[in-house]
Amino acid sequence: MNYIKKEIKDGVNLHLIINDNFKTDYVVFFLTVPLEKETVTQNALIPNVLKSGCQKYPNYKKIVEELEMMYGAEFDCGVDKEGDNLIIKFFINSINDSFLPEKNNNIEKSLKILTEIIFNPLIENDKFKEEYINIEKQNLELLINSQKDDKDEYAFERCINIMYKDSGFGLSKYGKIVDLEKINSENLYKHYKQLIDTAKIDIFISGNFEKEKITSEVETNELIQKIKERKEKININHFKKEIKNKIENPEVKQEKMEITQGKLVIGLDILPNNFEDFRFIALLYNAIYGDGVNSKLFQIVREKESLAYTAKSMYIPKKNNIFIRCGIEIEKYEKTLELSKRLLEEMKNGEFTDDDFEKAKKYILAGINSIEAEQDTQIIYLFGQELSKLPLTVEEYREKIISIKKEEIIEFAKSIQINTIYFLRN
Amino acid sequence: MQIIENNLLKEKVYIEKTESGITLICIPKEKSIKKYAICGIGFGSNDNHFILQKEKKEIKNPDGVAHFLEHKLFEQENGQNSLDVLASLGIDANAYTTNDHTAYLFECTDNFYKGLDELFNYIQNPYFTDENVEKEKGIISQEINMYDDEADWKVYINAMKALYHKNPIRIDVAGSIDSINKITKETLYDTYNSFYVPSNMVVVVSGDFKPEEIFKEIKNRINIKNVVPAKKIEEKENLEINQKEINEKMDISLPTFIFAFKVDPEEKEKLKRAIAIEILLELIIGQSTDLYENLYENGNIFEDVMPTFEWSRDYAHILIQGKSNDVEIVKEKLLNKINDLKKNGIEDKQFERAKRKIYGNYVREFNDVSQVALLFIANYFRQINPFEYVENYKIISKEYVENILKEVFDEKNMVKSTINPY
Repeated sequence: MNYIKKEIKDGVNLHLIINDNFKTDYVVFFLTVPLEKETVTQNALIPNVLKSGCQKYPNYKKIVEELEMMYGAEFDCGVDKEGDNLIIKFFINSINDSFLPEKNNNIEKSLKILTEIIFNPLIENDKFKEEYINIEKQNLELLINSQKDDKDEYAFERCINIMYKDSGFGLSKYGKIVDLEKINSENLYKHYKQLIDTAKIDIFISGNFEKEKITSEVETNELIQKIKERKEKININHFKKEIKNKIENPEVKQEKMEITQGKLVIGLDILPNNFEDFRFIALLYNAIYGDGVNSKLFQIVREKESLAYTAKSMYIPKKNNIFIRCGIEIEKYEKTLELSKRLLEEMKNGEFTDDDFEKAKKYILAGINSIEAEQDTQIIYLFGQELSKLPLTVEEYREKIISIKKEEIIEFAKSIQINTIYFLRN
Repeated sequence: MQIIENNLLKEKVYIEKTESGITLICIPKEKSIKKYAICGIGFGSNDNHFILQKEKKEIKNPDGVAHFLEHKLFEQENGQNSLDVLASLGIDANAYTTNDHTAYLFECTDNFYKGLDELFNYIQNPYFTDENVEKEKGIISQEINMYDDEADWKVYINAMKALYHKNPIRIDVAGSIDSINKITKETLYDTYNSFYVPSNMVVVVSGDFKPEEIFKEIKNRINIKNVVPAKKIEEKENLEINQKEINEKMDISLPTFIFAFKVDPEEKEKLKRAIAIEILLELIIGQSTDLYENLYENGNIFEDVMPTFEWSRDYAHILIQGKSNDVEIVKEKLLNKINDLKKNGIEDKQFERAKRKIYGNYVREFNDVSQVALLFIANYFRQINPFEYVENYKIISKEYVENILKEVFDEKNMVKSTINPY
């Protein structure tokens, strides 16, 4: 693998990942902005309005026809929440020319199509096309309402929302219906112009291609040439600045829905501690506690007590949180909660074996080893490094994990507190 | 050893049948960081009725035995669970059960041969006790409950119930809480001994391998006796649908629907027909069709409409799945589109685009070791060599596709399944 980062202009970076292990190529645009109550709904609407049509392809049908001619290139766009930032992403995944019956210049075409969609939208009288705005507003409303359909994700998002209320990480990436109602084709276009002028832009191209040729393709692209230089204004979620306060009693919240299986989510805080950098210790702590089949949570809650089919925990480094998530019988709420708490206590008391510790390390290292095995995972990893401002190569990452000692996990465990206990039940 | 090659995909496949009767398939990928192995057993959730060859005894299993077996096979006599053992080697292991097969798999960057040891150890050495069977019932019950809350799953299983009278595809792969409670360790041993036999097994590996070496390594790990597998009893399903529609309510925000067409699984040229149906689905409701544009612009559909063709040895059906505030209007427009296409024929340009898209989807399946191994295993149980897709793709004509359209997309073979909000 050969990774090259190049600054095209202030706030706009090109990342090239050259690799002949795959049959496809990726071209991805990430636009990153702070996640804020005032703008999140507009930002959530933008990708779908842009994909509805642009100057060159006035409707979505025309875009799809072009993609189909490229031997079924896959296009998608949408928004993601990363800590206190919102990411608006657009990508095309196409078959590499060497596996086609004829040369088709798929990477060059992907780049052109994406820049047309993102930077050259369909504008009528200084407004987005009215029809498209109406359809996409309606679709976003349905999307916001449909978040409750995936019970597991819904319970997780509710727990985050209770912990962070209506700011940053606590916001839904799709925004709110009350704010959606205020959006029209004129004010959205105004917002779009500001977004394009200020967002941090990262372009990733991954696949088998010539570096010079593709770099020049990007640099000579007229639409990319036209974008302005900008100062990055994103939130850097630094683990040291995410200070959590000690609380006496966790918040307990239960909500009801017509469901068969209950969803328990426990939000944990990582309190300030003596470690210089605890991100890797936290990752290993999480693996011992609840990530993977050898974790305490999975072994006790699922395998020994047979209380659940899913039982896992996940570490969110950007926010200094760990979330425990279990799908359980409604009546087993108290028992599962007690067990989860008992296992947290056991971590503090060092009640885990050397074997548990080594297994968790192996589990994480296996994950690190496979980052480069998939094109999309690799892009997400490198983009994550870009946003963290604490870039780490895969090799350095591996070293950090290997060097952790068992005592450090026990010491770290003392900085864990329960913030919120959320249960979705019937 | 048989070698088949495809120049366009730049891939070679090596196949060998061992003396004991296991089929071995290797797709070498020199540049891959990952290695992947999967062992498939020709026994799935549909196979719940069979005759034991030696005892001449007829067995009718409760629903969900294949899936229960899949869960329980990881349990070892020494008290260990093989999934945990593999995970502690840094190996990502899993298993799944479909209607026609059960598969055990793992992928890793290191420790591949230790993983292979463990894989063949647990597949060949079952250990079922009254206690460990009881414990698993609680876990599987929660798995069944989880799916019960998923509208996409409910709408699918109801579509199967509407399509089929007898075929067990109409029953949840996991069974029901009632049916799994009837499963005992004897059920599991009887079933295991009847189907987990070499002639019913296939092993597919993909990664940086030399085919002869890896085949030798696999053969060294096999010690299971070769006995004749039990004889499956399949009730013949006629081509008529079971019921026109099934509608249910759940706590969701927007109705979700499936329109499904029942297709004859017995027809000749299975693969060519499958490609024709995939092309037709693109031409009927693909994202570049006027139908899709019309439904989207009028707010009749929400998110993507997903058309798929599912087929195996004893069933075949087309599914068009989506979400809509007005399922009836989607149905009306869909049927109109099918009739228009039958009447006016297929446009050349659209045909070319659909063909290209299908080709791209196919190449994509060869992108990494897991996709390619899964492609080969699924098609092994359909008795198809996946390279034939490319061969058939080249020769498929518009006229052939138009004939399949007339034959397959018939309203009398169509059912509707919906899940509506309360």
